[in-house]
Amino acid sequence: MSTLLSQIVNGLVLGSLIGLIALGYTMVYGIIQLINFAHGEVFMVGAYGGLAISTYLLPAVLQQQWWLALPLLLAGGAVISGAAAVAMERFAYRPLRNAPRLAPLITALGVSVALQEAVRVFYPGAFSPLPFPRVFLEGAYVVPIGDGVPVRYSGLLIIVVSVVLSVALQRFVDHSRQGRAMRAIAQDRDIARLMGIDPDRVIVTTFALGGVLAGVAGVLYGTDLGFVNIDIGFQTGIFAFTAAVLGGIGNIRGAVVGGMVIGLVKTLGGQYLPGGTAYDYVWIFVVLIAVLVYRPQGFFGEPERVRA
Amino acid sequence: MSRTRGVAATGVVLVGAMLLAACGTNRSEGDAGGSSCDTSKGTLVIGMIAPMSGGLSAIGLGMRNSADLAVDEANEKCTVPGYQLAFQPEDDQSLPQIAAQAATKLASDPAVAAVVGTYNSSTAQAAAPILAQRSIVQISPGNTGPALTRGEQAATDPKRPFPTYFRVAANDLVQGPFGARYLVQEAGKKRIAVIDDGKTYGVGLVENFVTEAERLGARIVAREKVGEKDTDFSSTIAAIRSSRPDAVYYGGEYPAAGPLSKQLAEAGLDIPLMGGDGIADPQYIELGGRPGDFATNIGAPVESLPSARAFVDAYAAAGYPEPSSAYGPMTYDATNVIIQALAGVVEDGELDDAARAGLIDAVQRTDYSGASGKVAFDEFGDTTNKVLTVSTVEEDGFVPLDTGVFEPAS
Amino acid sequence: MIATPLRVAGGVLTVAGTYLPWATFVLNDGAYPAKATLEFFTEPFGVTGYRAHLLALGVAVVVFALVTVPGQGRILRALGVGVVAVSAVNGLWITVAGGGLGAVTVSDADVAFGAPVALAGGVLVLVAGGRGPQEAVPAWRRRLPPWWERLILLGVFVLLLLVVSAVLTSGGQGGAANVYAGAVFLSFLAAAGAGIGALHASGLASWVAAVSERHRGFSVGVLLACALALPFTGAGTEYWMTVAANIGVYAAAAIGLNIVVGLAGLLDLGYIAFLGIGAFVAANLSGAAAARVGVELPFPLVMLVSAVVAGFFGAIVGSPTLRVRGDYLAIVTLAFGEIFVRSAQNDIGGLTGGSNAIPGIPPLSLFGHGFDERLALGTVEVAAGAAYYVLVVLVVAAAMLVFANLKDSRLGRAWIAIREDEDAARAMGIRTGQVKILAFLVGAMLAGLAGAFYAHKTATASYESFRFIESVTLLAAVILGGMGTIPGAVLGASILFVLPEKLREFSDYRLLLFGIALILIMRFRPQGLVPDVHRRAELVSDPEQPTVALPAVPVKAGR
Repeated sequence: MSTLLSQIVNGLVLGSLIGLIALGYTMVYGIIQLINFAHGEVFMVGAYGGLAISTYLLPAVLQQQWWLALPLLLAGGAVISGAAAVAMERFAYRPLRNAPRLAPLITALGVSVALQEAVRVFYPGAFSPLPFPRVFLEGAYVVPIGDGVPVRYSGLLIIVVSVVLSVALQRFVDHSRQGRAMRAIAQDRDIARLMGIDPDRVIVTTFALGGVLAGVAGVLYGTDLGFVNIDIGFQTGIFAFTAAVLGGIGNIRGAVVGGMVIGLVKTLGGQYLPGGTAYDYVWIFVVLIAVLVYRPQGFFGEPERVRA
Repeated sequence: MSRTRGVAATGVVLVGAMLLAACGTNRSEGDAGGSSCDTSKGTLVIGMIAPMSGGLSAIGLGMRNSADLAVDEANEKCTVPGYQLAFQPEDDQSLPQIAAQAATKLASDPAVAAVVGTYNSSTAQAAAPILAQRSIVQISPGNTGPALTRGEQAATDPKRPFPTYFRVAANDLVQGPFGARYLVQEAGKKRIAVIDDGKTYGVGLVENFVTEAERLGARIVAREKVGEKDTDFSSTIAAIRSSRPDAVYYGGEYPAAGPLSKQLAEAGLDIPLMGGDGIADPQYIELGGRPGDFATNIGAPVESLPSARAFVDAYAAAGYPEPSSAYGPMTYDATNVIIQALAGVVEDGELDDAARAGLIDAVQRTDYSGASGKVAFDEFGDTTNKVLTVSTVEEDGFVPLDTGVFEPAS
Repeated sequence: MIATPLRVAGGVLTVAGTYLPWATFVLNDGAYPAKATLEFFTEPFGVTGYRAHLLALGVAVVVFALVTVPGQGRILRALGVGVVAVSAVNGLWITVAGGGLGAVTVSDADVAFGAPVALAGGVLVLVAGGRGPQEAVPAWRRRLPPWWERLILLGVFVLLLLVVSAVLTSGGQGGAANVYAGAVFLSFLAAAGAGIGALHASGLASWVAAVSERHRGFSVGVLLACALALPFTGAGTEYWMTVAANIGVYAAAAIGLNIVVGLAGLLDLGYIAFLGIGAFVAANLSGAAAARVGVELPFPLVMLVSAVVAGFFGAIVGSPTLRVRGDYLAIVTLAFGEIFVRSAQNDIGGLTGGSNAIPGIPPLSLFGHGFDERLALGTVEVAAGAAYYVLVVLVVAAAMLVFANLKDSRLGRAWIAIREDEDAARAMGIRTGQVKILAFLVGAMLAGLAGAFYAHKTATASYESFRFIESVTLLAAVILGGMGTIPGAVLGASILFVLPEKLREFSDYRLLLFGIALILIMRFRPQGLVPDVHRRAELVSDPEQPTVALPAVPVKAGR
C-alpha cells in the first residue's frame, strides 16, 4: 500500500516537472507545427543558468536564505532559457519558416546536439555532473501510512509551481491580447496576418514563454535533485514531448495531465510491470507509440486537421 | 544594408583581435626536445585509446592527461635511454568500431611501442585483437569485463585470449566479493538491496557481490536497475523500500551514486550505500554521498601511499584543465609500467621484433609500486594487486577503515 | 575593364606568396610542412605540398584571367576561393601553433610574409570578380566518337581514384610523429575543392556527367573497378582499409535509409536499430563463444538471415505508418529505436550480451585466408583488412543496385508519389499502406546486411554502437549527400567519417561542430551536395514562385 502511494507521489512529482517542459512543446507545435527537439536542451540550459548565477553572481549571504535565493535562481534560469529559446527561433528556425517540414525538424536535432555540446565544452567543469545548491527546504515529510510515504518538500514545490504556472499560462492564452494573437496564428497564419498580427512577434513570444517555463523547470530540477548533468535534456525532453502528445498537442491542460500520466507510467511501470525499473523507460515509449497510433489527438485534442 | 554593416563590424572586431594578439610568438630557440636527454635512436610513441568526446569524456580526458603526465616525466628524467617518448591519444567515441580504427592506426605505425586504454570493455574487445595481432602491449586502466583476460568461461575454465593485453584495474571477480565480505561480516548487514546501472562495470560488480554475499548468509532483498541517464531515483527507492533493506550496494559510478545516496536518505531510508572504486571519488560526496557510506578501492589508501600523493601533486602542478578522474592514478601507473618495461628492453638496442616480444615479457614480470599501489600481473594479465581498502565517508572525505588482501573462497 | 589587371595581380601575388617563407621560425611542435621557413626563391622548382598547390592555383588564375573561356568568372571565383582557403588554413595553423601573428609576419628580424601575401592575392581575385550575378554555367553538348568518350571516362575515373587516395593519405596518419596532419589535410581538401569547383564552373563536369550517362553500363563497371583498386593505391594501408570498410558499412546503411527518407519521404529516427539487429543476429550465428545461440552458419547465409530478420522488424516498425504521418511518424521511429537500445542493454532474451556485448566474433575467412591478415598476390602485397574492404564495396554496390532498380521501378515511383502527396497517390490507386511498409522493410534489410558485415569486421557487437546519435549521424549523411540520390548517401557517409578521423585534434569539438553543421546545411544547402533533380523542388523554395510577403499592419485595439 505504502509502496503504491509512494510511487504515485514520485510519479506526480516527476510528471509535474515533465508537464512544465511539455508546455513549451505544446505551444510551439500548436503554433508552427514544429517538434522543437531542442526544447529539452533549453531546460538543461536553464538548470546550468541557475547554477551559474548561484556560483558566480549570488553572494554567499543570499545563498543561505532559500526564500531569497530560490526566486533569484528561478528568475535567472528563466531569463537564460528564454533568451536561448528566442535566439534559437531567430537564428535556426525563422529562416526555415517556409521550408518543407523535414528541414526544421533536422535543424532541431542539430540545435539539440550543438546546445548540449556547447555547455559541455564551455561551461567550466560541465563534462561531469555538477552539484546544484539546495535552495529549498531539504528532506521529506513522511505521511504515516503503512511503512510511511515520504513526500519531498522540493517535490511538493515542483507540483505547486507547475500547477500555478500552467493555470497562469492558460489564463494568459485565453484572455490576453497576445494570447488571442497566438490562437489566431495557430488557426490560420495568413488570415491572422491580414488582421494585423505580426506572426514573427507572436512566434518569438511563444518560444520565449516556453523557454521561461523550461528554465523554471531546470532550476526546480536542480534544486530537487541537488545536481545537474548535461544529458538531462534529451531524455526529459522526449518524455515531455510524449506528454504533450498524450494530452493533445496544443492543449495546455493536456500537457500537464499528460506529464502526470507519463510520470505515473514510469514509476508504476517500473514497480509492477515485468522487467522492473530496467524497462520503465520502455513503457513510456510503448505508451507513446500506442497513443500516436490509436489516438493521435491525445486526451483533450480535437481530431487532427488535414494537413498537407 | 544591415548585412554589409554586419560584415564591417565583424571585420573591425577581427582586426581589433589581431592587433591585440599583436606579433607575439611562442618561439623558443635551441631546446626543441625540451630536455638534454640522448634521443639518438629516435622517437617511440605511447598510444592511448579512450573516449575523449561525448558523455564519457570526463573520464577519457582525465586518462589522457594522466598518461601525458607520465610521458612528460619520463622525457624529463631520460627514463628510456636513447629515445624521445611521444604520446598519441586517440578518441574512440565510446564506439567499438572507432576503437578498432584507432587501434589499427596505432598498430600500423612502427613507432608505436604500446597502448594505454581503453575505458569501455566493449571498445577493448574490438581493439585488443588488432593490437595482439601486431604484438603491441596494451594496458587498460578501466576495463573490468572478466572475458578480456580469462575468455568466455572466465569463472569455470579461464583461458587468456590476448597475450598482449594487461590491466591494472581489478576485475569484478575481486572487488565485488571484497565489498560483500565487509558489508556482511564487519558491518553486519543481512538484508541488502542491490542496484546497478546496466553498464559492464556496474553489472559485473553487482553479480559478483551477490554471489559472495549470499554465500556469507546475507539476503538480497531487492534487485533493481537504474537507467544510464536517470537522475530521479525516487521510484527505484520506493521499489526497494518495502523490502526493508538495511544496506544498498550500488554497481556504477559516482555521478549517479551520489544523488542516489542523497535521495535514499530523503525518502526516509537512512541506510548506508556501498559501491566500488567507481564511487570512491570526492565528487561522490559533493553530489550527495552521506557520512556512513562505503566504497571499496583498489590498493592501499592514499594516505599510506606516498606515491599516490606524489601523483596528485604532480597532476595539480602540471595545470591540466580537467581533473584526473577516478581512473587517473591507474592510467598513470599503466603508462609508467610501459615506460619502465620499455627502458629495460631498449637499453642496448632498438625496438625491433625481438624487443617487442621482450616488452611483453617485461610487462608480464612487472613489479612496480605506483600511485594506485603495487602493480604486478598474473598469468592472465590481470593485476595481482589484490590489496583492497574499504573506506567510509566522513565529514571531510573518504576515510579508510580496513585494508586487506583478497583471497577468493575455494 | 579593371577586372583583368586586378585578377592578374592577384594571381601574381599568389605566386609570389608561394615563394615567400611562411613561418618565421621552426615551430615548437616541429617544422611546419613544405619547408615553411624556406628562404625566398631558394628552390624555385622544389616547392611541395600546399605551396605547390598555391603555385598551381596562382598560375591558373593568371592564365584564366588572360584567356577568355566560357564560364571565366565562375572559374576564377572557384580558384580565388581556393587560394584564400589554402592560405588561410596554413596561415592560421602556423599562427596558432606559433603562438601569435609573429609566426606569419616578423619575429626577431626573421620575416615570413607568405601567408598574408597569398591571402591578399586570393582576396584580390575575388574582389576583381565583383559582386554582380555570374554568367550561367556553360553547357557543352559536344559528342565525340563513343570510344573516345569511353577513354575520357576511364581517365576521369582513374583520376578520381587517385584524388580520393590522395585525400585519404594527405598529411599521413597524423599522431605524434605528424602533428600537422590536420592542416595538411584541410589545405589539400581546399585545393582539391578549388580544382573541382573550377571544373564544374567550366561546364566540363556536367559534360562528363552527361557522357557517363550515355555510357551508363561502362561507367558503372569502371567505377566499381576503380573502387576495388583502392587497396593498390597509396591508401592501401591497413588503417585506411579499416576506415574505408567502416565507411562502407555506414554507406550501405545510408542507402537503405535513403529509400525510407529520400524516396518515400518517411523520416526514420531509429534507423540505426536495424544495423544493430543485423549485427546481433550475425553475432549469434557466428559461433562466437559469448553468443547464446551457439549456431555457426556460413557467412553468406548469415547475411541473408540478418537481412531477413532486420526486414521483419522493419515491417513492424513501419506498420504504424498506416495510421501515423509526418512528424509523429518520426517520433514513433525514435521510440522504437530507444526501445531497441534499452532492450539490447538489458540483454533481452540473452541475445545481445547486455552490457558485456557479444565479443570475440571470429573474423571472416575465405579459402583459409583470414580477412584480417595480410595477403600476398604474387609480388604485390595487399594490406590486412583489404579483403573486408573488397567485400564491403560489393555490399555497397549491391545496395546501390537495389536502390537504382527500385527507384525507377513501379514501386519506386509509388514511393515518390507518396512523398509528394500521399492523398493524391492513394487517389491514383496506390495502396499506400503496403507500399510504405515495403519502404521500411527494404531499407531495414539493407541495414541488416550491413550489420552482419559490421559484426564480423568489428569483432564485437555492443548496444553502445546503436544509439540515437548514430541514427542522427546516418540521417545527416543522407541529407549532407543529397536525399534520394545514390552517390549522395555514399558521399555523405564518407565525409562524416573521414573528417573526424582526419581532424582528431578537434575531437573535443566533434559533436559541437556536427550539430552546427546540421543547422548550417539545412539553412544554406538543404538539398545536399548531390541534389536529386526532383527532390530539389521540395527542399528549396522555388524562386519562380514569389512568396507574398505582406507587411504586418498594426490594428488599433478595438476596446
